[in-house]
Amino acid sequence: MDRRTFIYTTALGTLQVGLLGVPVRGAQAGRNSLRINVQAPSMPPSPLGMPGLFPGRVVEAFHSQALVNGRASPPAVRDMVDQGMKALTGESTAADGWARMFEPSDVVALKVNPSGTHPTVTSIALVREVIRSLNAVGVPNRNLIVYDRNSNQLEVNSYHALVPPGVRVVGLDRRWAVGADTRGGYDPDVFCEMDCFGERETRSYLATVVVRDANKIINLPTLKEHNASGVTGCLKNLAYGSFNNVGRTHVFPKTFTDPVISVMCSVAPLRTKSVLHIMDGIRAVYHGGPFSWNPEFVWEARTLLFGTDPVAVDRIELEIVEQKRREVGAPSLWDRNPANLGTSAEMQQTAQKNRFYREPGHIRTASELGLGFWELERIDHRRLRIG
Amino acid sequence: MADKSLNWITLLGGNDRRGGTAAARSKGPEELVWKATLGESIRSSPVLSERVVYVTCRDGRLYTFDSSTGRERWTYEAPAAVHSTPALSGDLVLFGCDDGAVHAVDRSSGRLRWKSEAGGAIWASPAVHDGVVYVGSMNGTFTAADRLGGRVRWTRQFEGRIFSTAYVTDPLVYFGCGDGRLRALEASTGKEAWSFTTGEGVLASPAFVDGLVLVGSEDHLFYALDAASGALRWKFQTSMGIASSPAVAGGSVFFGGKDGHVYALNVADGVERWRSESIRSITAPPLAGATAVYVQGFYGLTLSFDAASGRELWRANLGGSLQSTPIVTEEAVYIATYPGVLYALR
Repeated sequence: MDRRTFIYTTALGTLQVGLLGVPVRGAQAGRNSLRINVQAPSMPPSPLGMPGLFPGRVVEAFHSQALVNGRASPPAVRDMVDQGMKALTGESTAADGWARMFEPSDVVALKVNPSGTHPTVTSIALVREVIRSLNAVGVPNRNLIVYDRNSNQLEVNSYHALVPPGVRVVGLDRRWAVGADTRGGYDPDVFCEMDCFGERETRSYLATVVVRDANKIINLPTLKEHNASGVTGCLKNLAYGSFNNVGRTHVFPKTFTDPVISVMCSVAPLRTKSVLHIMDGIRAVYHGGPFSWNPEFVWEARTLLFGTDPVAVDRIELEIVEQKRREVGAPSLWDRNPANLGTSAEMQQTAQKNRFYREPGHIRTASELGLGFWELERIDHRRLRIG
Repeated sequence: MADKSLNWITLLGGNDRRGGTAAARSKGPEELVWKATLGESIRSSPVLSERVVYVTCRDGRLYTFDSSTGRERWTYEAPAAVHSTPALSGDLVLFGCDDGAVHAVDRSSGRLRWKSEAGGAIWASPAVHDGVVYVGSMNGTFTAADRLGGRVRWTRQFEGRIFSTAYVTDPLVYFGCGDGRLRALEASTGKEAWSFTTGEGVLASPAFVDGLVLVGSEDHLFYALDAASGALRWKFQTSMGIASSPAVAGGSVFFGGKDGHVYALNVADGVERWRSESIRSITAPPLAGATAVYVQGFYGLTLSFDAASGRELWRANLGGSLQSTPIVTEEAVYIATYPGVLYALR
């Protein structure tokens, strides 16, 4: 069993890993310290685990026909996935690219983002295309699991109904059957323990899908601003969608998403098993996330981002959202002006207001924990225009 | 049409998809009569017959309550979660279960009479017609079984999951499929009469009126098809997917959209009569009576509208719904919510 303690020392702006004592930069100063105890199984590092086979490489695939009549176009998404995987892996065919990371005996969990209105969640077209690609390298549907924390959000966005028969769709708040066995949502032996704001339950447990059922994870986040973490990209989607009891990390106007997201992603099963990240930016959100009730904050980016390095992908996402916010005259995601704080209702009305001081620095903290590259000069950003 | 007492297709209470008990209420309920907190969330609709409310729960139980007092009559425990709305047929209550079987339970005793395997978890509601139970499953099988004993008469395998509750007539059975098709099979043999391809999965359960089959699709469109041939009569564009099954009353068809609107269209030509303000997302079927329409939204609201004008009559904020529809009678309104509470309101 791996037991580590992370101490976020806000006065110094550092995050220290107790086991190694290596200081890691935190995002901001001026908060109380946060101590995070991690208990997780010891796992040998995997070359496929974060940052994966291609550290620092991000492929941005744009297709002008990615949306047709307001819906993600399956043929366009197929082209984007095929071309994106070839560009990411350098292989001559998409199938060869997938085969670099997956083999027929794998049990693969697909982490979708179902939080929000229908246009701002992971597209069914993308999920189905990933399933088709895995089938093509021999992974059968019975070895595939689509999961998220909330079964009702999965169902309201119709994942249960629209993936092929045989694929399991699992809300971690539910129990489900694996053969004759019944599984629960979270593993009581794998957790991050911290007291953020004096809450009663101080542990966040990791999903059994991650700990036991799957040996690989494909992360399918959305390109979306988040009112607490800055963006809800690869890291946020993985961490807060795989651990429970995470809403407690933000209390208006403060949030501990930095460093909690980063520390959670560094926990061995999640870090070791997450081998590919495909970010759905067919539609994207620059404000009001994750639920994004106001359609004015959604734009048609017609883009997918590919990488094995979640830090690099999230850094590019951050730049894209910042660019969009500059275009519309909204404050930066790094904004610390208290005059720009507002209620949830105000946040949904205007991009000038937000509920929290956002913490996009969680991406940099993840880099400092070895999960990938933060610096733009170290990121190999490849742009594809497919159609 | 078979004897209606043996043909209570549960979705919206009856084969006419009008709910059967949709009383007009210009005022919202003002008083809690009773409530029951179940062991888990409720995804399905409650049904009501002979002063007994039946409701299934994700804890694997079928609960029955006295509709006046809320006193629990009996509980049947299935071996897995239940997402399927129960169907009442004569002395049986039938529902699908995640164990892959239809369970037929005696309405008096609450004891299992028979189980019929369908091959995959069943979230649709069984539809009973002329002594045959029709239901689709999540692994894409569609099965016809004897109402007496559960012997399988025929099974068809499709490539999409089936969440849609079938609508059965003589001679065809209609249902939607996750592969994007609305299918019409011969009820006696399972042979395909026709299929109509939409642009995305059809999760909703079709309604049948005036020779038309009416259903929405995840492709954002609502369709009216000729029931005999499957030919397109008209279609109507919305801005998001449609998982809400339609209800029909007074020449209008009503459904909710994931765009949060309740739509009222002319059955004859698909012209929009009205649409409500958005309540963010609706996947449950509306209930349509002669003068009022009722619907539960995903984010907690239950709303009532004037059927003719769309004017909001009343609203309650008790908890969200995925597929649950209120039961509205002269005496009470019954609302089952996703958090697992069943309310009886006066």
